[in-house]
Amino acid sequence: MKNILLSCTLLLSSLILANPVETGHAKASLITNLQSLDQESFYVGVRLEMQDGWHTYWENPGDSGSPFEAKWSTDPGVIVENVQWPTPVTIPYPPLMTFGYEGDIVFPFQIFRSQETNLDAISVDFDFLICADICIPETASLSLDLTSISPEKILDSQIEVLPKKFIPTKSSVEGDNLVVSFETNKSFLNAYLFPRQDNYFTYSQTQKLEEVSDGSYKILIPLIDNDLESFSGILSLDGEGFQVEEQLLSGGGMSLWQAILFALIGGLILNLMPCVFPVISLKVLSFVSMGGDDHAKIRNHALVFVGGVMSTFLSIASALMILRSSGAMIGWGYQLQSPVVVGILTLIMLGIGLILLTNINLASSLTTLGNDAQSRNDYSGSFFTGVLAVVVASPCTAPFMGAAVGYALLQPSFATLPIFLSLGLGFAGPYLILAVKPEWISALPKPGAWMETLKQFFAFPMIATALWLMWVFMVQTSGDALIQLLILGLCLGAAIWMIATFVGRWKWIGLVGTVMLSLQVFNNLPSPSELQTDTYATNWSTTIEKDLQANNQAYLINFTAAWCITCQTNDKAALARPRVKEFLSDKNIQYIKADWTNRNEDIAFGLAKYNRTGIPLYIFWKPGMNESKILPAVLTEDLLIRNMQ
Amino acid sequence: MKRILNLSMLIMISSSLISAEIILQNPNLDEQAPFFSGINSYGEKINLSDFIGQPVILEWTNHECPYVAKHYSESNMQDVQKIAQDEGFVWLSIISSTPGDQGHVDKATANALTKSRNAYPTHVLLDESGEIGMKYGAKTTPHMYMIDSNGILKYKGAIDDVGRGMKFFSASFKDAVNYVATQLDDLKNNKQLPISSTVAYGCSVKYNYD
Repeated sequence: MKNILLSCTLLLSSLILANPVETGHAKASLITNLQSLDQESFYVGVRLEMQDGWHTYWENPGDSGSPFEAKWSTDPGVIVENVQWPTPVTIPYPPLMTFGYEGDIVFPFQIFRSQETNLDAISVDFDFLICADICIPETASLSLDLTSISPEKILDSQIEVLPKKFIPTKSSVEGDNLVVSFETNKSFLNAYLFPRQDNYFTYSQTQKLEEVSDGSYKILIPLIDNDLESFSGILSLDGEGFQVEEQLLSGGGMSLWQAILFALIGGLILNLMPCVFPVISLKVLSFVSMGGDDHAKIRNHALVFVGGVMSTFLSIASALMILRSSGAMIGWGYQLQSPVVVGILTLIMLGIGLILLTNINLASSLTTLGNDAQSRNDYSGSFFTGVLAVVVASPCTAPFMGAAVGYALLQPSFATLPIFLSLGLGFAGPYLILAVKPEWISALPKPGAWMETLKQFFAFPMIATALWLMWVFMVQTSGDALIQLLILGLCLGAAIWMIATFVGRWKWIGLVGTVMLSLQVFNNLPSPSELQTDTYATNWSTTIEKDLQANNQAYLINFTAAWCITCQTNDKAALARPRVKEFLSDKNIQYIKADWTNRNEDIAFGLAKYNRTGIPLYIFWKPGMNESKILPAVLTEDLLIRNMQ
Repeated sequence: MKRILNLSMLIMISSSLISAEIILQNPNLDEQAPFFSGINSYGEKINLSDFIGQPVILEWTNHECPYVAKHYSESNMQDVQKIAQDEGFVWLSIISSTPGDQGHVDKATANALTKSRNAYPTHVLLDESGEIGMKYGAKTTPHMYMIDSNGILKYKGAIDDVGRGMKFFSASFKDAVNYVATQLDDLKNNKQLPISSTVAYGCSVKYNYD
């Protein structure tokens, strides 16, 4: 009681403008790290040296208490940002739990001012609740003359340890807990996640920490309400704080089962992709031409085809896992980062397109077109059609399968494999059904001349895909290299024409000639050249975010690649629009392009920081935001601008 | 030897008692409000079940807490108590402060406070053990609960929307939405309350935690 009286008297006396002041249970002072009067950005800090046993609160005080309030008075032209909260500690009063600070603490505020403004004095009314067993609201009116200051080391050292870094997490609601998984190679004894939301968690219950495997951990935060959709907070590892921010999918993050289901559905939808559809449809046509009566044969062919698809997916999954275990930074679509792969795929697409236009039935080729007596018993043809279907699907899957495959790549091997197999199963699904119920083939139209017309029509989506791949190839390399690729295409066309037209000796002479010509061109293929970028975009670098944040420069980062269809669509629909460009320049937002068309470890690492292995990814930050923000993956002009307001 | 064994057993048992987590309950809305009985400031035993047929308001309080002090010094709490009393509500002010801690009072002081502050509680309950508070998950003073005439819990949370933050101490209650006062009619008519759960703000309840 005596204490309270005493503090009341001190409270009154502290209203006199001064620095530092005794508020009753703390000494409060205003400090700065301003070094010279022409700095445009610097920090001021409110330092509270609290008496032993007393504490004040974090922005979410926990079960009781209150965060402080600071009312600044400055000259116009000087902007004081919101406080950057230091990492709090737990202050338990069982059965209650509160979050705050004890001892000597500095609350840093960033200051911006324009060069035209003269720096003078800065003052603050700092109201805070200070508690031991009991709580007392105290206040300090502090003033600092910025024209005669000395920078305080303690402020810089406190800014240094602010929880600025973002730790990638994966979270899900499991029963009555929010389970947050994270990885760190730092060794620590205690972990605690301080949530910012104040009505979802039981603070007083212990948060359980589990080490899942070496360097990978799980922390369980007891929930009151499991309707949690998003959360943010600070993860403290032995007092070192990291920002955590996450959107939870309905019913928590993506579980393995969900990923498998998505992969299955995704695989099924792949059948409709422009580069896959013709190959697949031709396979169906071959079943049709086998007639509705020979069910056993249809079943066998369908099963062999499924086998081809599955073994290809299995090979891709194994290759990915081997690459990953060797430490390579990879994401889905990585195969398209090599111009050689893109070039070969271009030729395959072009070749299939040309073959479809001729009357060749390449019984021994990869595509078994089926309306030919020889191919009826050729199971290897069915198998390789399966392989081919997956290979040609690859450019289409890259942007499309991002979510499930991205998830698969972040998982341990036991989870990667089922996701890829499920993708393959979805892809081969229709044929699997056909294998089980061969009689359903009779539901399809009867064979006839229409099949030839349809087959020829399918040449065009294949050639269109080839054109798109040529453009990717050109972005990766150069116009000169593209011409060489086109010459190879010409040779290929000539070879196919010769096979279709000539007979006997002349066929072989022609073929050898074109192959030799092709080799000549191939030897002269240039290596990938440096990329050119939009004039108004800055090139991405690993430190660009840190640098720009340090300079208080707002920015928008576009992780893109020529082979990513979604990225290209977003570029056209939003990023390249005049209104967006105008908005970016009006708001002084620096536009940065991270082009992943060619393999780039730095960009892969940049993506990993955001817990991504695939693109598109759009990152936005402006001064005042604690952490940069991930924008939606599908953008429109309005959506983009709204997200940057 | 046997004695040492017994002693170590005793130490083990007592240490396990100490380390046992005391967890506040969190009663569900739209379910039967947890039953309790307690001693009022006249030494009488009061049961929640005594009031079946009447709507009941629970108010956790601690007269020394600066939050509670402001609510009472500006007659914010008493005004709501008065309306509730006139409308036939039962108002129970509950003090869960442990002896020796802030807000703990004897019967005489409790009655003197009611008189001097012009308050209108139906009863003031002295919950020294914190049993009632923990059953209801009372975290702060004030922390409010509303129970309808069928004994169903309808509201838990803050007294009003002024909320956490130092603005509370300079805020005017005239501009505030009082969640209890504005929802008394709905509670009386056994209707669903538009706002049934909010985050209570104030000082911590001074439970016995040592």
